[in-house]
Amino acid sequence: MKFKIKSLYCIAFALQFFIILSLMLTPTSLNAQTEVTKNAQVETSHAGTGIRVAPGELLPISVKLSNFGGGKRVDVLIRYSIFNEAGEEIYGNDETVAVETTANFVKTIQVPVGAAPGNYIAKTSITYGGQKVPATTQFSFTVERKIFGMFQSDLITFGGIIAVVGVIMIFLGRALRKHRRSMRLTPFDYSAIPHDVRTYYEILSDTIMEMRGRVGDEALLIAAAVDGLEINKETGQVISISGRPSKIIATLVFEYENLLGEKASFSLRKSGQKI
Amino acid sequence: MKKTILIVEDEKSLREAIADILRRNDFLPLEAVNGKEGVELALSKHPDLILLDLIMPEMDGMTALKNIRADAWGATVPTVILTNLSASNEQLIDDVVTHKPMHYLIKSDWKIHDVIKKVKDILEMKDVV
Repeated sequence: MKFKIKSLYCIAFALQFFIILSLMLTPTSLNAQTEVTKNAQVETSHAGTGIRVAPGELLPISVKLSNFGGGKRVDVLIRYSIFNEAGEEIYGNDETVAVETTANFVKTIQVPVGAAPGNYIAKTSITYGGQKVPATTQFSFTVERKIFGMFQSDLITFGGIIAVVGVIMIFLGRALRKHRRSMRLTPFDYSAIPHDVRTYYEILSDTIMEMRGRVGDEALLIAAAVDGLEINKETGQVISISGRPSKIIATLVFEYENLLGEKASFSLRKSGQKI
Repeated sequence: MKKTILIVEDEKSLREAIADILRRNDFLPLEAVNGKEGVELALSKHPDLILLDLIMPEMDGMTALKNIRADAWGATVPTVILTNLSASNEQLIDDVVTHKPMHYLIKSDWKIHDVIKKVKDILEMKDVV
């Protein structure tokens, strides 16, 4: 008789409880459906960026059982289930825990390896002695395949972003190279130079630019060191020449060949050719 | 009508390679093996453009260009010097300035296809003018 009273006492306390099931690492809050005793509440919260797992991965569930009261241990049977969109249970596992007043623990359940991508519901229900109303809580999650350790959708998103950034970088790089090249190869205007020596200026300028395009700014340094030749050391524009122009050109070409091992090609502009 | 290009080049393999690519690009190539033959062909056939080597037997390229420029037609024919001779000689520079080829190209630095592109550019520019 005494034993019976004690059991009823425990059951009475167990009727008032909270089950808080929360998915770890998720910030939003869900109101879970529940059917427990009058005063019982079930809250589910999660922190993170949405609940996604890959087939075969572990789904952590934070479980909180509270308000059992009475200081007596109550054996609670917990069933963890996963249901697909068709309402079919694709996973089920039972375990029994002894609860006095409160119990907190994390349970990890393995999503079946064969689970197809889609939306699922993780349902947790408890059963204990003398229970009159079932207590259940649930949350939904998504199963998505992983490729190279990344979720498929993330991979597509990141891949897309990387591809777009890559294409932009390629275009920018090309535009920059083209701009630099055009800056280097745009002929300077020597129309202000007297006609009898203008062609020499143009040959010098073309030779310097052509060589700069091949070996870089070293071509400017070599040109700047040629006797009788004054150039803009930034752009390569010929500012003035003194002495025999053909000798200056011959010296420049010789220096390029001697110091760089490069023979110089050049072009001549037609009289009156626009640049 | 196909544009005619005179190739004055003593090196047979290069001459034939250029001629072959010119043909494939819808040009009509004429071939001369030295400067003398080049002058004769130029003045008789009046090509649209001349590709001219400098160092050749019998008559060098610059002498050939001098003779071509002396002719009324030849005074303005577009010419491209294609040589391995570096322009590090004062007399050569003066000759270049006097006889005005459009380009002085070092053979070893230029692929044949790029030379053909230069040819096309020159002829397009000529047509525009």
